[in-house]
Amino acid sequence: MNILSTGEKGSRHLLMGNEAIARGALEGGISVAAGYPGTPSSEIIESLAKISKDHHLYVEWSTNEKVAMEVAAAASFARLRSICVLKQNGLNVASDFLLHLAGSGVRGGMVIIPCDDPGALSSINEGDTRHFARLLEIPLLEPGDFQEAKDMTKWALELSEELQTVIMMRSVTRLSHASGSVVLGDLPEFGAKAEFRHEGFLLDPNEGIVSSAPVEIKHSQQQEKVKKAVEKFETSPFNTYTGPESPELLVITSSACNLYSREAINILDVKDRVGILKLGTTWPLPEKLVAEHLKKCEKILIVEEVIPFMEENLKMLAQELAPQIGQKTLMGKRDGYLPMVNELNPDLVINAISKILGIEYQAVPEEYATGTLQKTFFGAPVREWIFCPGCPHRASYWSINQVLKLDNNQGFVCGDIGCYTIGTLPSGFSTLKTLHSMGSGTGIASGFGKLKPFGMKQPVLSVCGDSTFFHAAMPALVNAVHNKSDITMVVLDNSGTAMTGFQPHPGLEANAEGNDAIKLDIKSVCESMGAYVKESDPFDLDNTREVLFEMLEKKDGVKVLILRQICALSPEKKGKKMFEMAVDESRCKGEKCGCNRLCTRIFRCPGLFWNKEKGTSKIDEAICAGCGICSEICPIGAISKKEVTQ
Amino acid sequence: MEILGSKELMEQVRSKGLCTTCGACVDICPYHQSHKGRIALTFDCDIAQGQCFAVCPQTEFDANELSELMFQVPFQNLPLGHYRSVKSAKATDKIIKGNFQNGGTVSALMMFALEEKWIDSAVLTGSKELVPEPVMADSSEDIAKCGTTKYMATPTLSLVNKSAREGRKKLGVVGTGCQMKASASIRSNPMNKDEYKDAIALSLGLFCTWSLDTREFLDYLKSRVGREQVISMDVPPPPAEIFVIKTENGELELPLSEIREMTQEACATCPDMTAEWADVSVGAFEGKPGWNTVIIRSQKGEEWVNAAVEAGYLVLDDLPDESLDHLIQGAGNKKKRADNAKHEEVQ
Repeated sequence: MNILSTGEKGSRHLLMGNEAIARGALEGGISVAAGYPGTPSSEIIESLAKISKDHHLYVEWSTNEKVAMEVAAAASFARLRSICVLKQNGLNVASDFLLHLAGSGVRGGMVIIPCDDPGALSSINEGDTRHFARLLEIPLLEPGDFQEAKDMTKWALELSEELQTVIMMRSVTRLSHASGSVVLGDLPEFGAKAEFRHEGFLLDPNEGIVSSAPVEIKHSQQQEKVKKAVEKFETSPFNTYTGPESPELLVITSSACNLYSREAINILDVKDRVGILKLGTTWPLPEKLVAEHLKKCEKILIVEEVIPFMEENLKMLAQELAPQIGQKTLMGKRDGYLPMVNELNPDLVINAISKILGIEYQAVPEEYATGTLQKTFFGAPVREWIFCPGCPHRASYWSINQVLKLDNNQGFVCGDIGCYTIGTLPSGFSTLKTLHSMGSGTGIASGFGKLKPFGMKQPVLSVCGDSTFFHAAMPALVNAVHNKSDITMVVLDNSGTAMTGFQPHPGLEANAEGNDAIKLDIKSVCESMGAYVKESDPFDLDNTREVLFEMLEKKDGVKVLILRQICALSPEKKGKKMFEMAVDESRCKGEKCGCNRLCTRIFRCPGLFWNKEKGTSKIDEAICAGCGICSEICPIGAISKKEVTQ
Repeated sequence: MEILGSKELMEQVRSKGLCTTCGACVDICPYHQSHKGRIALTFDCDIAQGQCFAVCPQTEFDANELSELMFQVPFQNLPLGHYRSVKSAKATDKIIKGNFQNGGTVSALMMFALEEKWIDSAVLTGSKELVPEPVMADSSEDIAKCGTTKYMATPTLSLVNKSAREGRKKLGVVGTGCQMKASASIRSNPMNKDEYKDAIALSLGLFCTWSLDTREFLDYLKSRVGREQVISMDVPPPPAEIFVIKTENGELELPLSEIREMTQEACATCPDMTAEWADVSVGAFEGKPGWNTVIIRSQKGEEWVNAAVEAGYLVLDDLPDESLDHLIQGAGNKKKRADNAKHEEVQ
């Protein structure tokens, strides 16, 4: 039973924000959904993929976000409704196409759903995608709770189709991943027919060609659409005011900050002093609505996450309105009431409001704060970012690191985003030396590999995952091959988009919907590009090391080593041990000369721990994945492995 | 002498360019490893006292202690080091003919020691596609394959450590001066480790004036001989000043000065031409082609040479006085050059 699929109109359910968005897309009558996995966005596509058959949907995990956007746009051009889902970084990837799409306009309703990650809870940046709305000149919506997440998705699809412009609806981690109560709406009959009309008059938005040129005409058309959107926003039910007629302080907020602001006002018990204008339509701002509320009081606090996007827009608007409503004081991030980094929470909002209103209130009493800090510092075990027990990346980095050190020419590795990002940290032996966006490790390596004429003698390596290979590393590889850059690219192929939850990618036999798909062989792809390619199992340390040395020895051109071993957490592997591991305590050298705790001090698989009393290592039976690598690295063979017969 | 750890070994020796690539620190543990003639530290080790520091020929050592251990006499700073006698020698037809240079004395002594069970295995330097590498010889056939001089720095002693870990005993070790000094230290077992007790039974030193940086020389070799198979390399006696490379297509003569430039840094300050800390040292006999000069140093070394002669592996002859004077002068000059180089370094 899948609530998203079968939940009846009027019934109330506890839904995750992403599920609410998926249901909203269904209620909005989408036919196509495409995206690229990325926390916190992934569950939207996953939820829809599960029920695609029952709702006559086409759901796709695309090769990357730009392609996902193009796939969703094609559906719209064929007069179907579609959504494109991605995380904040993904919008950057898709933005080149988007700038064109904003100009060309759409036919069927199309909504882009970026899920931002304020605080970078599962990212290495906290990019704020709202800026793209202004850059692209497309309407921006932000749901303020779980019910809105569903309802707004449906409305956004309708509005997009009506205005013939793509619309952006931004979610954030706390909305996407938290759950709340949602009353379901109706599911439409499906049966939309796809047809792309292109024989009409050049500039006909429904029958002509789809293009952002001629730019002057299309650009002004687009700006007209945005103006129409603002008219709709003026009366949108997603913009609400709660509070007294003449508040002392007006909080203007959106998204998950709506929930924090409401909680803060409740805790401070200032409902009769502070009003909340919750905006669901955040760019462009509905001027008349805003003017009406700005009139209500002198002090305004803007509560939003990361960058002062709304604050800046509101300040501009307030300045324009000043002759009519008088000069107002707008507070927020620029004056330091709220931070410009990290996510917000009710405590931070309480601090800002109490400061402005002169209320003595400590959201977190100092005694409590230091107390908990002390307790967690001394009481909780130190936890760092590490590879899981049995992770093939640990073995891969072990070999890469050893080879580079033995080669002794200050070789280094450029990397990107994936679990293997941990290669920058001790768990990956600090092997990664540059870390940027997907595929950029290989692009950067390609550049380093051309610096020989400037005296660079260091071997240059890059790493990328299997999904990343298809996502963005292929053009970098093409570049390196074509320009005769001297690099060794290591593809850490763990057979899935592991970090985000094993979504399929073009190197696998199944697609998002679980149907047969064409599997692209990374080795053949690289070979056809003209690279020198070898494969190895990272768990075969000797062979991997030998091949890596061979590649470093082959100085000229592009070498690709594919290290293939399924992720330890993959459904196929989970819970199944290849080997039963044991430490022979009588042989373990422990801290003595000749070892000095190589396995627990350097290799640091959590499946091994240091028994201080005995001065020996020990296998943690509960979490050891039985990969067997520690027995290979133990210098005196004190760790044994016994093959497990399945 | 105070034994310190890996950190100090890096500070006092390797980072100062004083590492001779002897291999005594390699493979004791996972931290000091070698690849293609270079030794690298794979990860930091924070142990206060380590075998790596204790046996390194370039850390501070107690010469008297080591001299007592090897020769039962206090240390005297002599040009040739301590010795009982100096002879000339060559192998007889009894031994398997290998690719050896000069008189084949090294091969003969090692084959005798192995066949007559004075040692269980021999640690030698062989090569794989020109890259010199440590070789464990368990038979005379294995020894015969390692006869030629490599001229490149090779961490041969790493094999002593590997063998010790595997529990092997009674090794015979062949190596240059730095390797003999390290071997003597290993025999003294400074860390009192079970695995090194009786690990080395015999050590045979090779005369050495310099060792080339393996990687640099291999690149040079590749540029000079290309894909031709190198059969052997030789430095003919002075005043030739040439380096001869014998390949399948004939001989190639290269200026010795060009070769010497690739000498590894540490050799400049090495005072030991004749491998003073060995049981027996062997070098070319410059006045008599086809013969070697043999310096018999320890009592065990004397017994070993005599037994090899008795068993018919080796023939001995006296060394003319002027040859001995010449050798002493050569060894003395190396000590002077080393002193000067050290002095320059300090300045």
